[in-house]
Amino acid sequence: MSLEKLLENPRIWRGSSRVASQLNRQTGLASGYPKLDRCLPGGGWPPAALTEILTAQYGIGELRLLMPALAKLSAAETHTDATEPGWIAWVAPPFQPYAPALQQYGIDLSRMLIVRPKDDSELLWSAEQALSSGTCAAVLLWPDELDDQASRRLQLAAEKGHCWAIAFRPLAARQQPSAAALRLELQSTGQGTRVHILKSRGGRPTVLNNLLNLSDRFL
Amino acid sequence: MSRAWKLPVAVREAAPTPSAVQQSLSLTPTPVRRLWFCIWLPNLPLEACHSSAEAMGALAIVAEQHGIHRVLLADARAAAAGIMAGQSAHAALALLPALRLEERSLTREQQALEVLASWLERFSSFVSIAGENVLLLEIAGSLRLFGGLKHLRQKISAGLRAQGFAASLAIAPTPLAATWLARAGRRVCVRLDANLGSALRKLPLACLNWPAGLCESLTGMGVSSIGDCLRLPRAGFARRFGAEYLLELDRALGHLPDPRDSWRSPERFCADYEMPEEQSDRELLRNICRELLLLHEQFLLSRQLGTQRLCFSFFHLKGVATDLRLGSAVAGRSAERWFELLSVRFEQLQLPAAVIAVRLRSGLSQALQTETAQLCFSGKPGVQKRRYSIAQLAERLIARIGEQSVHSMAMVAEHRPEYAWRTQSPLSERSASTLAAGQHRKRPLWMLPEPALLSVDSGYPLHRGCRLTFLDGPERLETGWWDDDSISRDYYTAVDAVGMHLWVFRNRRQTPSWYLHGFFG
Repeated sequence: MSLEKLLENPRIWRGSSRVASQLNRQTGLASGYPKLDRCLPGGGWPPAALTEILTAQYGIGELRLLMPALAKLSAAETHTDATEPGWIAWVAPPFQPYAPALQQYGIDLSRMLIVRPKDDSELLWSAEQALSSGTCAAVLLWPDELDDQASRRLQLAAEKGHCWAIAFRPLAARQQPSAAALRLELQSTGQGTRVHILKSRGGRPTVLNNLLNLSDRFL
Repeated sequence: MSRAWKLPVAVREAAPTPSAVQQSLSLTPTPVRRLWFCIWLPNLPLEACHSSAEAMGALAIVAEQHGIHRVLLADARAAAAGIMAGQSAHAALALLPALRLEERSLTREQQALEVLASWLERFSSFVSIAGENVLLLEIAGSLRLFGGLKHLRQKISAGLRAQGFAASLAIAPTPLAATWLARAGRRVCVRLDANLGSALRKLPLACLNWPAGLCESLTGMGVSSIGDCLRLPRAGFARRFGAEYLLELDRALGHLPDPRDSWRSPERFCADYEMPEEQSDRELLRNICRELLLLHEQFLLSRQLGTQRLCFSFFHLKGVATDLRLGSAVAGRSAERWFELLSVRFEQLQLPAAVIAVRLRSGLSQALQTETAQLCFSGKPGVQKRRYSIAQLAERLIARIGEQSVHSMAMVAEHRPEYAWRTQSPLSERSASTLAAGQHRKRPLWMLPEPALLSVDSGYPLHRGCRLTFLDGPERLETGWWDDDSISRDYYTAVDAVGMHLWVFRNRRQTPSWYLHGFFG
């Protein structure tokens, strides 16, 4: 049996899948941060998959990290096809997403869908609906609890609707298993925000120091 | 032309004055020829009885006459056992103990007639309900569309048979003549006025539906057919029996106009589904709702309409009905789509008791906006086919979690941070945001619903017990006199001990104080 044939066997898992990353090259959504893109297997955020972002508190750049990619998604496809460009759904955001700031980042406000469910089961239902609808390009959600099973459902819905799901979770969730394709931990340090890639399907854990600097915030 | 004349007979037969001739010549160019199609439903009380189809046993309809319940109609099985109209209910039960007796329900018959009338609206623009069991259609204008009288007649009679109605049909140039011919059971078609007299003359008096006493005295005089009636002297007939019967004969023969009320089906859909016994099986109820939605779809389809609101009412034997209201962002009629919305809400519906009947009412209907299909298929690779439109997604979300909880956003030309944006429905027309980005200084991605007061330590604001470090500012935002919410604030960007980036302001009004207004997420 030749080596190529052996490698084609799906039961073989390749730790540093350089081959896989070559296959996946350019399939990711460019994050707008070249340093981060280099560490992600597809050269960017995994599309049609669940990404988890673990933070201890809000206001340390967790949204800023996503803004360039979201801006691109909200404006995409307008000229390429008659189908609607993607909507961006915010399910149960902890505060009010502020429209003028979003516009400053170049996001099309008329494509925002803010959903405020009453409880966690409604939250998961709404997120699943939005993900699998095929109308949304990205769904951001802030669940109180997200167990293994729920994360798997979200991951499947994201694949079905070809939609990028981003779940924001507390640091305590680090110990819990998750079906997410990508897990990041954000921590604020004195100089800036450190991004720790905990899990990356097809990639490897990495720590990126000072990815977001204070200067990023000022246009 | 359209008013019924109540003129004395002598005047009507007087020669018209020359001026009247001139007038009629100038006003009525050509008389419109009309053709009336009559449907007589002799077994309607039996057919309107909703359980007749399901039950296997013999059935008879009874009605109270002079305090005694008498058989009005019996179905084929009952008739085979010797049950006839006019028998008392007890006699009928003695003949056939297994016989089911149902009280006659005029409202049910009327409903059945209305259902039929709305179905008949597809054949003619003029449908009229004439009496308890007679339907009239004006078909002169429909002949060409349906390919002639023969085809039209076949279509209607096949449709009636399919809906389980035994009908007697007749066609004549006047509505009364058509009705009498149908009642007499003559399957005739009189197209020309000239033939009308000879067709009517042979009909027996029974088909006129005149009072029994009148018919008896006529028969006693040796008058047994309409032809005999017509031979009687007009003045004497009118004096003896009343002018209205003479006028009726004139209308039937086309000597007098006979205007009829046109029946219009209601603009709103309302249908009931009654169950023989109480049910609490939710799956069954869901299926009933689905059937009602299919009827509703047909109703709207025939009118080219859609609706945005629906209301299901679940009736219980005791207590008030439970209502379930559905709303849709876009007017629609598709039963599938409404059913999907219903299913979302039905899971959460609390039914206090078992259900005996379900009613579906639709809201105001409106013309549907049709979409133009694309001629070419977009064969671009990589372009995902959207399973739902945003309208469908928003509808589903709104149906489950409420209208206030699902919204989109838009910019407002305002310098005060609270007023610089507004919510808008995700389905409203997208107004291109004309406000240029970057006209403000840096704004935070997260806003607090209300500014939160910060504690102060010797003039410095504190967040979670730590002093803030200022990075940027101040940016002064002032005034708002036009809506009594005037502000005067100095905004700063600050960072706290754990690295959160905050948007804080110092209120310059009254006693100066510090507030937290947002986070740079």
